[in-house]
Amino acid sequence: MSISERTITAPSMALGQRGILSRFGPSNRAVFPWVLMAPTLIILFAIGIYPFLYSLYIASHNVILSKPYLPRIFVGLYQYQALIQDPEFWHALRKTLIFTVQAVFIEFWLGLGLALLFQRQLTGIAFMRVFILIPMILPPLVAALIWRYMFYPGAGLMTYYVGGITRALGFGEIPFLSDPTVAFQTLVFVDVWEWTPFMFLMLSAGLASIPRQPYEAAEIDGAGSWRVFWTITMPLLRPAILIAVIIRTMDAFRTYELIVIMTRGGPGNATTTLNVFLTKTGLEFFDASKAAALSLIMMMIIIVMSFVFIRVFRSKTEVAE
Amino acid sequence: MKKPTYSIESPAAPLVQRNWWVYVVLTLVCLVNFVPYLWVVMTGFMDGASASSATPAWFFTPSLEAFHYLIVEKGIMKNFFNSVIVSLASTFFSVTIGMFCAYALARYDFTGRDDVSFWVLTNRMMPPVAVLIPIFVTFQTAGLLDTLVGLVILYTAMQLPFVVWMLTGYFRDIPRRYEESAMVDGDTWFAAFRKVTLPLMMPSITATSIFVMILSWNEFAFATFLTSTQAKTMPPAIMAYSIGADIRWNVLGAAVVLITAPLILFVLLLQRQLISGLSQGTVRK
Repeated sequence: MSISERTITAPSMALGQRGILSRFGPSNRAVFPWVLMAPTLIILFAIGIYPFLYSLYIASHNVILSKPYLPRIFVGLYQYQALIQDPEFWHALRKTLIFTVQAVFIEFWLGLGLALLFQRQLTGIAFMRVFILIPMILPPLVAALIWRYMFYPGAGLMTYYVGGITRALGFGEIPFLSDPTVAFQTLVFVDVWEWTPFMFLMLSAGLASIPRQPYEAAEIDGAGSWRVFWTITMPLLRPAILIAVIIRTMDAFRTYELIVIMTRGGPGNATTTLNVFLTKTGLEFFDASKAAALSLIMMMIIIVMSFVFIRVFRSKTEVAE
Repeated sequence: MKKPTYSIESPAAPLVQRNWWVYVVLTLVCLVNFVPYLWVVMTGFMDGASASSATPAWFFTPSLEAFHYLIVEKGIMKNFFNSVIVSLASTFFSVTIGMFCAYALARYDFTGRDDVSFWVLTNRMMPPVAVLIPIFVTFQTAGLLDTLVGLVILYTAMQLPFVVWMLTGYFRDIPRRYEESAMVDGDTWFAAFRKVTLPLMMPSITATSIFVMILSWNEFAFATFLTSTQAKTMPPAIMAYSIGADIRWNVLGAAVVLITAPLILFVLLLQRQLISGLSQGTVRK
């Protein structure tokens, strides 16, 4: 510290608030940060911890919301065990992982490509950026509604134009939302449409913060642009890449509006991800205990994932520095 | 070292510039990203007949039929103002409260700092659907169901982790000696914070506020289950009016226009702050 305790406390003492201020005020460097954080921590505790404890309690009992007259029986870890033995749970987990990996992978490469194109300072490019960002600005609900309309048989643009082309080629209509495999890929497509702009924005920011010197050195050495990309741009972009990928992975894992509005998990259970499975269990079958156990498992998965990501991120950035 | 033939702003730009295909690619991307939205907006201005025809009608006589239905018959402006109140209030509270927490995390080196910061983030990891039932029960006992106050409290808590994480990065960017010299000159901590740190932080706080406001404006899951008549915000209202037994596409379009108009206006006006703000906070962590 560059200034002594005395210089900070002196003015506040002069104000005559010595009692409280010297105990909890800025001069007490051990306690003061907690004073500053208290409102945030209290609110998060009240809204965050209570549902968590409640979920723990419910998950260890047998509560069906539609049958409140049933006695609440303590069942220990039964709910978790039942879930692990439930093939529907594993199906939903697999769907969620495939959806997340596919969507984030495609979004990353498309976003990176766009960000690189935007590095060329062309005329009119700032104007184009607004158009490119539109899907990300729309409420997820609206994005889902728009595409539900686009793919609606007999009404949407996609079914009319793309369907027209495939009919002319003799393939017939594409069952965008009615075939299990196609419906799943349609959802991935809409997620990519909605969130590639986000990747683009984050990676553009990362590219803007790369220093100039390595490129000049590479130019003197006569390195080709492909080589420059892999040996300079990619390593220096790594922090931005990791942050963008972490945020997108966490959000793709929890995708809700998109799936609920476009397919409601169907046809069959082809697009039933964990979040949809959870919604059905808790809010359609009112099996609160099973839903609580499932939500705790989901939370564990997300925490472990982001913990690993943050670890990787820290070690990689330390190496880079 | 300056290049003799041309100058480019950015270091990551390729050396050879052949631009026509870039324009083609970017124009295509713009079309793909913009046309679906444009089409739905256009549908909002159609009358029932042209909106429900199977052949897309790119040229039509504009009609305000759907807007009339939503605004006059359904009174959607009430939901609109609910949304305005809830998103403004929750943005104000979460940014004001979260600012101090971020400041503490960025400026003080206390035991458990990384744990606190990670715990704050984990609050964002719970899937909304997962906390819905306990929150519903709590709101029911506290009498907060279907009230704007309840939604404001909930959204404030929901946005806090985001605010704290964004602002912590920004505070780290501001050198600590500015405040220190103000305090040496005799200012109290709070005076130094208000006169020195806060003005420097204003651009970042603005960007964060815009983001938080958009997130609150867009929130759907909680709004659907925690409100019914009095406090219903735009997203559940739009869901209710645009998806039913028989879908009226022009009503859907008009609803989309009403919910997105403030967003689009906002982003057009504040594009620069939004982008520069985002690039600072997330990358320089």
